[in-house]
Amino acid sequence: MSRVLARNELRRLFVQPLAWAVLAAVLGMLAYFFLLSLQAFLAVMPKLAGNAAAPGVTDLVALPLLRAIASLLLLVVPLLGMRTLAGERQAGTLPLLLASGLGDARIVLGKFAGLLTFLAVLIALALAMPFSLDLGTTLDLGRLFAAAFGLFLFAAALAAIAVCVSSYAQQPVVAAIVALALNLVLWMLDAGARYEGITSSFINYLALPSHLEPFLHGIVATVDMGYFVLVAAVALTLGARRLGTLRMQP
Amino acid sequence: MSASPLLQLLDVSRVLAGRAVVAELNLQLDRGHVLGLLGVNGAGKSTTLRMIAGVLAPSSGQVRIAGEDLCEQPQTAGRQLGYLPEQVPLYPELRVSEYLDFCANLHGLRGVAAARAVAAVTERCNLGDVRRRLLGNLSKGFQQRVGIAQAIVHDPALIVLDEPASGLDPVQAASIRALVRELGREHAVILSTHLLPDVQACCDRVAILHQGRLRHDGPLQALAESGALRVVTSASLDETKWKTLTCVHSAEFADGAWRIRLASDATPAQLAQAIVSAGWGLNEMRDDDAGLEQIFLRIASAESTREAA
Repeated sequence: MSRVLARNELRRLFVQPLAWAVLAAVLGMLAYFFLLSLQAFLAVMPKLAGNAAAPGVTDLVALPLLRAIASLLLLVVPLLGMRTLAGERQAGTLPLLLASGLGDARIVLGKFAGLLTFLAVLIALALAMPFSLDLGTTLDLGRLFAAAFGLFLFAAALAAIAVCVSSYAQQPVVAAIVALALNLVLWMLDAGARYEGITSSFINYLALPSHLEPFLHGIVATVDMGYFVLVAAVALTLGARRLGTLRMQP
Repeated sequence: MSASPLLQLLDVSRVLAGRAVVAELNLQLDRGHVLGLLGVNGAGKSTTLRMIAGVLAPSSGQVRIAGEDLCEQPQTAGRQLGYLPEQVPLYPELRVSEYLDFCANLHGLRGVAAARAVAAVTERCNLGDVRRRLLGNLSKGFQQRVGIAQAIVHDPALIVLDEPASGLDPVQAASIRALVRELGREHAVILSTHLLPDVQACCDRVAILHQGRLRHDGPLQALAESGALRVVTSASLDETKWKTLTCVHSAEFADGAWRIRLASDATPAQLAQAIVSAGWGLNEMRDDDAGLEQIFLRIASAESTREAA
């Protein structure tokens, strides 16, 4: 049942200009970034040649691009997810879902799945750029796949936050701003601590980058996967509970 | 199971912002009936329907659909229910066919069954010509029809329509009423309106809601039978002259016509004959459909005078 909702969500995203505009802008920026870092790599390549310990194309071109994708997702996911529930409330279409007997959890899950599918498409298209280098050189594919997996989990956490905030907001714009603020807080939460040299305290655990970085270094750890799954689960549970309260106090 | 009525409201109350919007409402409805929920704006009609549709939980009391509590079994109860909210829930960026597909899927229909249901409802609601159009570009009348199509696509036992004919032109309103009447043959339909003609045109039962309380609940037929005749004559008359006719029980002048209540054994034919033979010139004579209006106005005005006092 959630699949029906997810498919509808995806269809509605693709028949509207917002999703296409976001895709075009994000991919355009990433392509420019990709070409710049590729050129920079080509410039330093002669110096690196012969040094076995020197970073390769995966380190100098592919991974910076993945970091750029992550930073762009922080901004883009709130925009794409703002309408998921707040938009339904504003347009008066929420009663259709509430009266369908679908259940609050399934409504929220469906919205989340639709948004995440779109993000998966976006990430896949963006990753096509570094992967295309495999045609001419040797990439550290294991590391790239680990990074892609981490990026997907990261996107899932952000999507869940966006859907959750959207269930609380009455207007999509408010949902976008609040979700963006939350994302940035989670992104920079331990910046101060790191500045002070604290790298393994609880505050580091709460921040998003501490769990994304290991993936980018090719480390797939349960603790990091657990973190993203936990963030998503908490956000989606809150979202479903919010729909329940909407039935009590519209 | 079969003994319990399709829709049952048991002492349903709803408090919103400290105010009892609906209070101790008891209502029953079975298949084959169309119930008109009548009331002035703010009487609690929409709130009642939203509770029946499961969009709003009652503060106290129970809504049962086919014997199942809507709050405890939203899934099974929801399958039996089609709901058209006051604001038609349309996605303007979708095409009519895409939208109806989605609604059919949402209510558990898949593949061939869904396609067949969508084709049937498109035909039934006369949406064939606009199938490929975007919902946002449709006229209000078509949007309303798509809204009804959405509510009946999964062939629910109970259809809940919140002001289905509001904001439509007379031709569109008439076609919606005809559709509702047709639906009432196989389904149970409950519709809210503040327009008396809506109720008279398509309901066989009427419930009048005022300030959240049920003030009247009964078949429309009984109201029509207790109604009087509306008579226009070319001669100017007064009440005493009418009383000279044996077939007249009472007469009062209202809105440019006489409301004549017949004596218990008299027929309209006798009255017509009496008027003609008295030489008063019978210009018009028909059923006075103000019976419902009278009850409605009495309930509404009684309450406002009580409030004023």
